[in-house]
Amino acid sequence: MKLTSSHYAARMGFGLGVLYLLLATPVARDWMEASMSRHMLVQMPLLVVIGILASRLLPTHWQNSVLAHLGGAIPFVVVALFASTYWMLPRALDAALNDPVAEVAKFISLPLLVGFPLVLAWRRLTLIGRGFVWTNFISMLAVLGWLYIVAPVRVCNSYLVNDQESAGWYMVIGAVLLFLWWLGTLFVGGGVGPDKPDRNGTGTSLA
Amino acid sequence: MASYTYTPTPDQGAKASVVAYLVVSCVVLLLMMVFGLLMRLEQSQFTAIGGLWFYKIMTLHGAGMVGIVAIAGAAIMWHFLRQYVELSTGIFVANLVIFLIGVVMILASVLIGDFHAAWTFLFPLPGTSMGMWSQGAAALFMGGLLVIGVGFVLLHLDIARAIIKRYGGLGRGLGWPQLFGPDDGNAPPPAVVASTMVTIVNLVGLVVGASILVMMLVNLYVPTFEIDALLAKGMIYFFGHVFINAVIYMAVIAVYEILPRYTQRPWKSNKVFLASWTASTIMVMFIFPHHLLMDYAFPKWFLIMGHIIGYLNTFPILIVTGYGAMMIVYRSGIRWDMCSRLLFVSLFGWAVGAMPAFIDGTITVNYVMHNTLWVPGHFHTYLLLGMVAMVFGFMYYLVKPDENARDSAIDVAAFWGFVIGTMGFTMSFLYSGKESVPRRYAEHLPEWVPYDRIASYFVILLLASVLVFVFRFLTRLGLAGRDYQRASLARSIAT
Repeated sequence: MKLTSSHYAARMGFGLGVLYLLLATPVARDWMEASMSRHMLVQMPLLVVIGILASRLLPTHWQNSVLAHLGGAIPFVVVALFASTYWMLPRALDAALNDPVAEVAKFISLPLLVGFPLVLAWRRLTLIGRGFVWTNFISMLAVLGWLYIVAPVRVCNSYLVNDQESAGWYMVIGAVLLFLWWLGTLFVGGGVGPDKPDRNGTGTSLA
Repeated sequence: MASYTYTPTPDQGAKASVVAYLVVSCVVLLLMMVFGLLMRLEQSQFTAIGGLWFYKIMTLHGAGMVGIVAIAGAAIMWHFLRQYVELSTGIFVANLVIFLIGVVMILASVLIGDFHAAWTFLFPLPGTSMGMWSQGAAALFMGGLLVIGVGFVLLHLDIARAIIKRYGGLGRGLGWPQLFGPDDGNAPPPAVVASTMVTIVNLVGLVVGASILVMMLVNLYVPTFEIDALLAKGMIYFFGHVFINAVIYMAVIAVYEILPRYTQRPWKSNKVFLASWTASTIMVMFIFPHHLLMDYAFPKWFLIMGHIIGYLNTFPILIVTGYGAMMIVYRSGIRWDMCSRLLFVSLFGWAVGAMPAFIDGTITVNYVMHNTLWVPGHFHTYLLLGMVAMVFGFMYYLVKPDENARDSAIDVAAFWGFVIGTMGFTMSFLYSGKESVPRRYAEHLPEWVPYDRIASYFVILLLASVLVFVFRFLTRLGLAGRDYQRASLARSIAT
């Protein structure tokens, strides 16, 4: 039986809600946050992805209206860049582990201030804007990873130096893989923008 | 089935932004050539500006030349590419403005801050000046390079956008459906194929370059964040070699687009052409280890890869382009003017200039030749008689009064002065290299001075010829923007 778009959205929304709550459980948080790599490279990106997928479930006219009322694509990109940059700082990681308020802020801000604005802005960006976001993010990830690898001190009080080093390596490897993937999308012609509808016509592809 | 007949296309004038690029290129090229002459005069012991000024000028000459040939190449690429895809003039202009901001930063760093660690800014030299320049001067130089890189990233993103929009992907821009499937004759024109290749390799190179520049800036202020010097060198040469290599692939578009207009023979993207560009897209990114062959600490496989790919990459595009040009010109009855002469001689310069690199790319030769004047001999031939000749050919083309206009005797003399001056100047570099004269030395031993003096005379001849080229271009600027037939038709067609 073929699913209608409202059924699809309801199921998808339910799935995302379950995933979000699952990530917020003490067991999942303890496991994810026990290692710097899992904290930075699994838990945080998953929260952003939840924000991205949830935003795509919103009706297109609603997305357009929010975008129009809040100043267009560029402010949304800037918000996403600043919010994601903040959560790359070592002391932000420490704060999330030691202060429940910061932990709550992380769970709210990553989907709402990174995933959500990115999806909305993406619809309006051409390949130049999208390319700028990708190249900026990838270089930041690579350089931050490199800094973690060569840092002469423990940058996070909550994690050991070897954990910091392996997180750094994962970031560098991740940056290289992301760059290759992005370049690959250019070869097959993805993401020229603006307004590239996805298969359902309800949102946009992030490539 | 592919059909290879020539289809005449209207001759478009240059947009004001292209002209602005070319004017900036002329002025900076001339200035950088004067800097080059000053260095040769110093080595010849005709002047005594001292070590500090020699290395400051060498830094400016290197960074300035790399930057300005990239700007001139971008102007050629953009002018022809926009005839096939829809490019953004705003981004093109923004790149020039960003470039000029970067240039001001570099000039201030060198002239005011005394930075003189060469354009290659090899780690850890910028941060260990022993009091010769300040931390701020080093940061300004590397920041300037970073700013210039950002402008080029934007330009290439716009080119990628336009090619993807028109052709459906960078793979299609390289003509992969026609290369790997049946050739239906609908492959993108050479200008698009070349621009796609340049965009791919430069985007990769610039991201790597930006990463090492940012890391070096961090290290400059917080030295405890240590950088592996070998990794830094590898990244710098990856970025630097890709970027400087790409400039000739931008400029060669002038040959692909203009020579066929003279002979009325098509330069189509057939399978061999497409295969050579795809092969070079990959190889250009792996060829840089030929700069690192003396660094024994690199893994052996890495150096062997540099050796082999250095050999392989010398040929595909060069042969396809050189052979293609000869086929287009052979018995075509082409009427030689300044533009066609310069474009044709540029292929000679490219071929001849690549050979010393081919030889230097051999590990056993590299051990004794790489730090000698042999290497400047290679890249000056390749760039001056190859790439820069394409730029001047393009400039003469834009300002040619009409299709039957004849060149003045001064222009023809300047052409031969340019060829002889460049050959004499670069041959003295190469011969000095053969005699083991080291490169990047401000002061030379008395035994080396005669070669330097011969070189200086040839540089003066070259400079005088370039002055004629630039004067001609600037005095006829008004013609550059107009749409009219410029190419003189081959005799067989004109009659």
